[in-house]
Amino acid sequence: MTVLRDYVTASTQSHLGDSLVARYDEVVAPDGSLRAPWRPLAHLAGQLTERDLVRLDDDVTRFLADDGVSYARPGARRQPWKLDPVPLVLDPGTWSGLQTGLAQRAELLNAVLVDLYGAQSLLAEGIVPAPVVTAHAGYTRQVVRPPEVDPRPLVFTATDLARDGAGEWRVIGDRAQAPSGLGYAMENRRVVSRVLPELYREAGLHRMEPYFWALRSALLQSANGDLADPRVVVLTPGPHSETAYDQAFIASTLGFPLVEGNDLVVRDGWVYLRQPGYGRLERVDVILRRVDAAWTDPLALRGDSQLGVPGLVEAVRRGRVRMVNGLGSGVLDNPGLLPYLPAACEHLLGEPLLLESVDTWWCGDPDGLRRVLDDLERPGAPTVVRAIDGSTTELAGCSFAELLARITDEPHRYVGQRRLPFSQAPSWIGHRASAAPVTLRTFSLRYGGAYRPLIGGLANVYDERGTGLSTVSSKDVWVLKEDPADPDQGLADVLSMTAARSTPVIVPRVLEDFFWVGRYAERTEDLLRLLLVTHAVAEDYRTRPGSVGAASLDVLLGVLAHLAGRRHDDLEAEFRSLLLDDDRTGGVADSVARLRDALTGVRDQLSADTWRTFGVIERANQALLATPYSHQTADSAGRILTGILALHGVTAGMVRDPGWHMLGAGRMLERCQQLVRLLHASTVRRGLDVDRKVLEGVLAAAESGVTHRRRYRGWIRAGGVLDLLLLDVDNPRSLRFALTELGAHLRALPASTGSTRPERLVENLLSDLDELDIATLVAVGGEGRPHLVRLLDSIAPQLLRIGEAIEELHVRTGPPPRTFGQVALVDALPAEPAPGDLSELGDARGEAS
Amino acid sequence: MLHRTTYSYDADVGNSYGQAYVRPRPLPFQHVDACAVTITPTPGDLATGIDCYGNQSTYFQVSQPHRQLVVEATSDVEVVAELHGQEALATPWERARPLLDPTIPGAWSAAEFAVESELVQHSAGAREYAASSLRPGRALAEAATDLMHRVYADFHYDPEATTVTSTIGDVLEKRAGVCQDFAHLMLAGLRAHGVAARYVSGYLATDPPPGKERIFGADASHAWLAVWLPTPTGPGEWLALDPTNDQWVGERYVTVAWGRDYGDVPPVKGVIFTDAEKSTLDVQVDVAPVAGEGHCARAGEPGRVVGQDPAGMGKFST
Repeated sequence: MTVLRDYVTASTQSHLGDSLVARYDEVVAPDGSLRAPWRPLAHLAGQLTERDLVRLDDDVTRFLADDGVSYARPGARRQPWKLDPVPLVLDPGTWSGLQTGLAQRAELLNAVLVDLYGAQSLLAEGIVPAPVVTAHAGYTRQVVRPPEVDPRPLVFTATDLARDGAGEWRVIGDRAQAPSGLGYAMENRRVVSRVLPELYREAGLHRMEPYFWALRSALLQSANGDLADPRVVVLTPGPHSETAYDQAFIASTLGFPLVEGNDLVVRDGWVYLRQPGYGRLERVDVILRRVDAAWTDPLALRGDSQLGVPGLVEAVRRGRVRMVNGLGSGVLDNPGLLPYLPAACEHLLGEPLLLESVDTWWCGDPDGLRRVLDDLERPGAPTVVRAIDGSTTELAGCSFAELLARITDEPHRYVGQRRLPFSQAPSWIGHRASAAPVTLRTFSLRYGGAYRPLIGGLANVYDERGTGLSTVSSKDVWVLKEDPADPDQGLADVLSMTAARSTPVIVPRVLEDFFWVGRYAERTEDLLRLLLVTHAVAEDYRTRPGSVGAASLDVLLGVLAHLAGRRHDDLEAEFRSLLLDDDRTGGVADSVARLRDALTGVRDQLSADTWRTFGVIERANQALLATPYSHQTADSAGRILTGILALHGVTAGMVRDPGWHMLGAGRMLERCQQLVRLLHASTVRRGLDVDRKVLEGVLAAAESGVTHRRRYRGWIRAGGVLDLLLLDVDNPRSLRFALTELGAHLRALPASTGSTRPERLVENLLSDLDELDIATLVAVGGEGRPHLVRLLDSIAPQLLRIGEAIEELHVRTGPPPRTFGQVALVDALPAEPAPGDLSELGDARGEAS
Repeated sequence: MLHRTTYSYDADVGNSYGQAYVRPRPLPFQHVDACAVTITPTPGDLATGIDCYGNQSTYFQVSQPHRQLVVEATSDVEVVAELHGQEALATPWERARPLLDPTIPGAWSAAEFAVESELVQHSAGAREYAASSLRPGRALAEAATDLMHRVYADFHYDPEATTVTSTIGDVLEKRAGVCQDFAHLMLAGLRAHGVAARYVSGYLATDPPPGKERIFGADASHAWLAVWLPTPTGPGEWLALDPTNDQWVGERYVTVAWGRDYGDVPPVKGVIFTDAEKSTLDVQVDVAPVAGEGHCARAGEPGRVVGQDPAGMGKFST
């Protein structure tokens, strides 16, 4: 039996059998026949067996991991994005009705915004009760009646739809504050078209690319005034945001820089990008805003925001920068508006509202309140209560009595919404195909004077086991073409993106992220090499205490402990912990997580191949978790190392811009630091044999074993090793080589002059190396090599200083914004320091890393 | 009228963005002859705008490094006591609740002053406290005035009693606070019963003690509240009450701005980029009446200042 046939049988039986939920099925009609959009696909889809779906699901998971697609629920950790391999398929007839309704809705919502932040006729005439708007957190008073009115505050909006029992689509909510999901929708499409290529080709569906071109064009045209070459940026809350992936995807697909609040500065009422060093400021004309309005300006809005730009609201009010969407658009993310939209549509557009919303009653209206309270008392409570602000967690866990108290206390803050059954579609949940409820997120864009819905969308799949509905996965949405010759997205005329200019922007925060990418990548690599060497020694000798091997193992373990502490006595457990425990500072998992965070901050500037590294690492970790044997430790560590080396390969292909040089600088500096730590292992003498074993390990960990063998024919002596690792001009693993590279990278950065502090510090260290005499260094005194110890002890703090100086010069953008009151208020200030007392200037102020 | 706010820091401030509500607003009962706001050091950007309530807000950016920032506002203002219609004053409070009766003219625009705002949380305590003044059928003006008398009698003026983070609950518990606390308390009590009322920021002219010379800067910025009285037509009237001094607001009061609570209209707030760790704040207010006599601050309690604090919730005494 194939999955589709099983599904048809099962759903027909449930239609006949239990009538518990009258649910529209997206694939099967009540009579057991396939619905229109699936009929042409039946011959292909019908062949899929359960085994095929297991494979498809694995492929989907792997592709998503390779692309680094993630999502974090509010307050939860980042998780891999979930995608169901079976798409939601809609026929052109169903779609065209939706499309007209969605276009009208976007136009209406725009008109509502213009009215609410301007004439307020909807409120004054009682068409929308005032508290629905003024008591909503998204209502942004700071932009009510500004001197410069934005005629199109709504450029891009999302609307969520679900079917009622009769199969009619109903609106369940709008997302206008900062609509997310378009990036996920596109990623879903990429993956599904790869895992189901035949079906995808056969289906004849609307491709999505032209929609991105239109979005790009719409954003460029959003700029105020007549600018030849407007600058558009995507404002993100940062890599820890729930939808960071989506934001970075949009930014990199559109070719607009992804910026954080601290990357921008307001000067004289205009918005600029900060530039590293002393470069000129570059003006920003349009901001695609993914930060909620309340957090965008600590001066005019929430003072505790670290995500915003002081003065931004003033720039918006003066019409000097366009926000997409407008700052007050969050007021539309408001179920309290739903009951009043039909009248608002008549009032503002003079036409009936086409798309019906789910039945909703505002509790601020006495009739609405009575209706909701009655419904709540009924068995099975057909109505759910939501706060108009949509803070979903607010009512979670509320007892019935608490709920009643809250509603009666402040009825205007709540609505009651009739539950919709939703429609169901075959979904692969928990390794089983079953019918799961789905909803559809749609997108509309103002392009060329009219709103155009994306022909497609993002479907959400719910799990109804347990207490309530929870999202478990997503689906690609296929809208089939009426005629195969139809242009994709109905957009035959948009300019393809290749014709558009795209200049990368390097703000100090981006340089900082690249710097740490370099450092964490090198840190991970070096740690893995040391771990592999140590593991191999341990495998050989751990059963023979007191042998030469055991003594050298102790030395190597000491270096590891210096880097990442020691957690377990048992060696195998210790190695696993070093690889897997992400709460272990200095361990592999910790460094990988930090590397990923740094990369996420500059995701818009990276090749998509970058994320394969993490797919590889994730699979290596899974394999390690699945296999308890020690050979797996080496195998997984090796695979993780492969992932990191692949990353070096990807970054080698980057354009040679300041970001790349900063990455190189970070990598070389880290290499120097790791090398100095590693060489400490060779400072202690424990007898010739042990020393030789240790030096062998040091060479391997510094990836110089092969070079050394070729040069010294396997004759390992401290002098040769130190020469190769400290002074060799051709060995990329030597201190001299890495420092020389570091200097070259620094010289290429925009703030460098040839004599800046980091450059000077590197030069100083290099000339110290010129003075070195290997014979002196290897000289033995007492238990060890005192000259070598002294040298390493003098280099380590110099490297730290170089790191601080680099951050100070190239990265530091000054202190973070604070409100007047966040600076401690005292009765009197201490006396001024005497002029000329410059002692404190010597201290670099290191940023937390 | 002069209002000077001085911030001093223990290190350079590289960039300072500020917003000030220090320009008295023109009103039917308040004529503003002249008004000037001067910022030192000279700001690179200085602009005046009108906010959603019609208040004049001043925006400034100082981008040159400085250790001291002075915001100084001077104005000449003529004020007469606002008159209210008897009919409006006699409206029973139950018939002045915009959320319950949205068809009253003007109810739609008063509605946002009848719901909770960030600094005016409707605690059960505030609701209960106000309940005994809001007796059934009582005229709103009378009920609000009674509430004002009770706040004046029950609460002690004490700048040490409350801090930046104090809530209305704290004020109720301590039975003490400053003018801002008393205004917020009355707002919470009235709003919890559905009545619309707004927070008003401004100045009160005070006289030097008998036989003493006028001391510059002895006055303070002040705060009170105004209660919405519906009228048969038009948007309604607002009756302004000062619980700190137990009187209706009259010709000795200069109205600067109003909003839902202090957070909407702080005299000065700002965001700075600095490594400074300490700062001092000095506020001087001088309201010199051209003529007239009368009551100043509450007897025995000299200058009080409601101050400016970024988070919009601070208060400082001088």
